[in-house]
Amino acid sequence: MDSNDVVVTGIGMVTPLGTDAPSTLAAWRAGGTARRQALPELAGTALERAEVALLPSFDAAARLGGRRMLKYMSEAALLGCVAAHEACSEACVSRRFTPERVGLYAATGLAAAGVQDVVPLVHESIDEAGRFSCKLLGERGLAATNPLLSFKILANMPPCLVSIIECIKGPNLIFTPWEGQAGAALLEAWRAVAGGEVDCAVAGAADSASHAATLIYLRQAGLLRDGECPASGAAYLVMERGESALREGRHIYAAISSIELINSDFPACDPLAERIGRAFAAAPALLLALACCEPPGDVSITGVDSQELRASVECVR
Amino acid sequence: MRRVAITGFGVVSPVGSSREAFWAGLKAGRSGVSRITRFDCSTFAVQLAGEVKDCFSLPEPVARAAVHDPKIAYGFAACAEALAQAGIARLDDHSLLHLGVSLEIFDMQRAICDGRPDIRKIAERSLGHDAPPLQIPLDTGARLITEQFGRPGRSLTNCSACAAGAQAIGHAFRSIRAGRCALAVCGGFDSMINPLGVGGFQMLGALTTDNARGPAACRPFDAARSGTVLGEGAAVLVLEPLDVARAEGKAILAEMCGYGSSMDACSLSAPDPDGDGAVRSMRAALADAGIEPQQIGHINTHGTGTRLNDEVEARSIRNVFAECWQRIPVSSTKSTTGHLIAAAGAVEAGACLLALLGGWMPANRSLDKIDRGCELNHVVGEAARFDGEYVLSNSFGFGGQNATLVFRRYNG
Repeated sequence: MDSNDVVVTGIGMVTPLGTDAPSTLAAWRAGGTARRQALPELAGTALERAEVALLPSFDAAARLGGRRMLKYMSEAALLGCVAAHEACSEACVSRRFTPERVGLYAATGLAAAGVQDVVPLVHESIDEAGRFSCKLLGERGLAATNPLLSFKILANMPPCLVSIIECIKGPNLIFTPWEGQAGAALLEAWRAVAGGEVDCAVAGAADSASHAATLIYLRQAGLLRDGECPASGAAYLVMERGESALREGRHIYAAISSIELINSDFPACDPLAERIGRAFAAAPALLLALACCEPPGDVSITGVDSQELRASVECVR
Repeated sequence: MRRVAITGFGVVSPVGSSREAFWAGLKAGRSGVSRITRFDCSTFAVQLAGEVKDCFSLPEPVARAAVHDPKIAYGFAACAEALAQAGIARLDDHSLLHLGVSLEIFDMQRAICDGRPDIRKIAERSLGHDAPPLQIPLDTGARLITEQFGRPGRSLTNCSACAAGAQAIGHAFRSIRAGRCALAVCGGFDSMINPLGVGGFQMLGALTTDNARGPAACRPFDAARSGTVLGEGAAVLVLEPLDVARAEGKAILAEMCGYGSSMDACSLSAPDPDGDGAVRSMRAALADAGIEPQQIGHINTHGTGTRLNDEVEARSIRNVFAECWQRIPVSSTKSTTGHLIAAAGAVEAGACLLALLGGWMPANRSLDKIDRGCELNHVVGEAARFDGEYVLSNSFGFGGQNATLVFRRYNG
C-alpha cells in the first residue's frame, strides 16, 4: 500500500442481517439471509404476499448515547446515524481530526415518512364528502400534526443529523434517491480524500425501503423483480489517507484503489439483493463496506438509475 | 487547472420566466410575492408566496409529470433556455447534469379512500391500470431532461435543501476545472407551494404570517422581518472550459472561479449563532478563487428574512470582510422572489450575472430600517450600478449546510 492511498478505518452497518458491522459481517460470512415477512397492513391486497426484509430490533438511544435527537429522526435518519456513529467511533474521527477537515458525502432514499406520521394530518383534513380539504388542513390538520414532520421528510435531514452528532463541519454533498446517487457520494468522498480536500471523509447512505407505502410505489414503478424484497438499512465508511492511518496505528480494513461511476445499459443488478434485500440507496455503501471486510477484489452494483458503481478494494499488509 | 466559463443561463422565477424577464424584474425591484392561488390557503396562517405565473410549452412526458409536480416544468424550461443559449443540442458522455431539488410532492387526496387514510385502498388503487404514480422521486426532473436532451456521462440529484442549487453549481464548477467533464449543466428547481410544503414550514415557524404586507412581506435584514416567504422556480447554468468556449466563439456570460462548502454541525433548524459555518464557507470560496476579501465588489446574500439567519449572516460577512465590508454593496433578492429553497442558489447566481453582465445590483426592495446587528452596505430603494470584477453569493441550508459561489466578470 502507498501511504497516499485512501484507506477505510471505520465501518458501520445496520442491515436485516445484523444491527452493527460485526454482526452483519458474521451473518454474511455464515451465509445468512434476511428474515422476510409480508406486511400485515397490506393483507387482502394484491401485495398481501409481497415480503420485505425485517430489521432486527435494537436500542437506538443506547447506540447513539442518548435520546436527544431521536425525535427529529425518520427511520432512515435513525439507521444512518447509528451506522455513521459506529464507523466514526471505531475510527475515532472526532478525536483524531479537526471537524473542519472532515467531509460528509451521503445519499438518502425515497421520502418515506411512516404512514403513522401523516395519518393525523390526513384524518383531520377530510371533509364531509370524504375528500381532502386544504381548508380543514389549515383549520385542524396542521394542529394535529407533529410539528417535527418536516424534519422527517426533508431528504437532507438524515446526513445533517449525522453531521451534528459526529461534529462534521467540512465540505459536503448529499444525493438522492437511487444506487447511482449513493455511488456518486462514495466516489466524491474517495476523491476528496485522495485529492487532499479533506483529511477524512465520512461516506455512506441510508434507506428505509421496507415501509408499506414504499413497497407499493416500488411495485407500481416496476422496480422489484419477482422474489425480490425491499430492505431498510444503512452503511457508513470512514476514509482517510493511508499515511495518517499508518502513523497512528489504526486498524485498516482495506485500501480503495479506484472508484468509478459509469452509465450502464444493463438492468439493475444488486449483488446483495438475494441475501439482504434491495436496500436501494444504501446498497452501494453496504456492498463497499462488506468488500472491505472480505478478501479484496472488485465490486460492482448497477442501480435502477442505470448508473454502475465499480470499486477496486485491496488488502493492506 | 482550467478556467471555467458560464455560457448559458436559463431561469423560471416569480419575477420573470426567462433570462431577460428575470433580469428586468430584478432591476425594477418588482416583487413576485402575492397571495397563494395554488390551493385554498384561507385557513392557513401563511397566505403569501412567490408563485410562477407563466405557462410553458413542454414535451408531452414533461407536461404529464408537471401536472402532479409543477417544479418539473420549471426545471425543464430553465434547462432548455440555458442549453439553447449555450448552443448545446445534446448532452453526451463528456457532460455532467447536476441539479438540486428538495422535497417530494405528497398528493394528500391519494392517501384517502372512502373518507379515511387507508393503506390497503391506496395499494389497490395504485396498482390499478393507468394509476398515477404514488411517489414522484426527486430524480424525475433530471430523468425527463435526459430523455429530451440526451444522456450525460453522469446525472446527479442533489438534495441539500436551501444549499442544493449552489452546491450543484459548485460541484459542477470543480468538475470542469479538474477536467473531469467537458460540459456541465447545473442548478436547481423547486416548489414547496403546496399544502404540505407551506403547512410544514408554517409549523416550523420559518414563514412570515404578516400577510398584510403583501409583496413586501419578505424583509431580509429589516427590523420588522418576521420570517421568509416561499418562492418557486428554477435556474440552470451551462459551464464549459473557458479556452474551449473561447475557441468555439461562444458568448461568455461570466467566469466562475470559486466554491466553498461547510456544515454548521450545530442545529437542524437554526444557524450556528457564531456564524462559524458561514464564515468558513465564504473563506473557502475566496481561497478557492485565489482572491482576497477586498477584491469582492458585490455580495448576494442568502438573506431569508428570518430573525436568526439574517443576523448571523450579517455578522459572518462583517467577520470575513473585516475592514472592507462597509464598501461592498449587498443585495438580497429573496425580498422579491421569495425563498426558492433548492433553486435559490441557482436563481441567485443568475442575479450575480445581472451584476457582472448587465452592470446592475438588485435592491433589497423591502428594507426600510436596517435591524440592529444586520448592518451591511445594503442596496436599497433602486438597483445600483456595478462595475466591479468579483461577486460572491451565499446559500445556507436548512439543516446546516452552507455553500458559497464566486463569479468573475469576463473581460475577453
